[in-house]
Amino acid sequence: MSKPVKKIMVYIDGTEQSITAAQYAICMASFSDAELIAHYVINIKAMDDLLKARIFLQDEELEYEHDMEADAERYLNYANELAIAKGVTITKKTSRGSVSKELVDSIKEENVDMLVIGELSHIRSRMDEFYDETERAMRSAPCSVLIVKDPMKVWELYESLV
Amino acid sequence: MSLIDLVVENIIKIPLESTDKPDVLRELVQVLKDAGEITDFDTALAAVQDREDKQSTGLTDGIAVPHAKTPAVTSLKLALGISPEGIDFDSMDKQPSKLFFLLLAAPGMSGPHVEALAEIAKLARSKAFCKALVNAENAKEVVELLTGD
Repeated sequence: MSKPVKKIMVYIDGTEQSITAAQYAICMASFSDAELIAHYVINIKAMDDLLKARIFLQDEELEYEHDMEADAERYLNYANELAIAKGVTITKKTSRGSVSKELVDSIKEENVDMLVIGELSHIRSRMDEFYDETERAMRSAPCSVLIVKDPMKVWELYESLV
Repeated sequence: MSLIDLVVENIIKIPLESTDKPDVLRELVQVLKDAGEITDFDTALAAVQDREDKQSTGLTDGIAVPHAKTPAVTSLKLALGISPEGIDFDSMDKQPSKLFFLLLAAPGMSGPHVEALAEIAKLARSKAFCKALVNAENAKEVVELLTGD
């Protein structure tokens, strides 16, 4: 029987939850000897929507875009450092667009077996407007999805990895 | 993190007491201070005022979305204020603003900040829902409306 998980993708969005997800994904990659991709999406779609809604100014949109590019580099580098410390190799990936679409496309393109994401909101609003981009990605991903919870337990697991 | 995670009763003020734009910005930042969400009131207020000086965040149909990046916060912060009478906020349609979403984000958290603003933009498109929010009598009712409980 071949390995069930050969390639893992972890979604990084700058939240603590996504860093916990990265720690868990590093542990999984180490245990299963799987390839690991860390993916940050610069949410151009949301910024365009904000510009259309006139919540953002043109200059502001550019400023946030630059901020997100810097955030992408910083958080992916941090995930990389976490991986290197445990002898795991991470492929860093940045794309631009809508989060769920970019993740789904990337999963297909890279033949990813498992998407790892941070914990979702505890509150499930019945309002359609309150959808979480990560939740949308979870629902539309063409592969298995692992939602990482309990940051303390994950940290202990990560720390125990030699 | 979804915007809905930030919606709790102590960051909601109904009715707002202010009658003009500078005061309502101050009042909304004070809501966050009173809720223990920020300590540096002056830095937070200056960031919001700086953004408003570039162009008002007063949209149409009585909605305003003042927002800023500021080191006064370490995570995303939301304050929600409702003024049933309306306040002149130099809005796009020149109508008084009644529903105020103040969003503050730390530098280096642009992703969650943009997504939270996008959620507010989607809410703002629903006129019926915004009307229901403006007609809410207390913070508990607003939380119930937003969470759907």
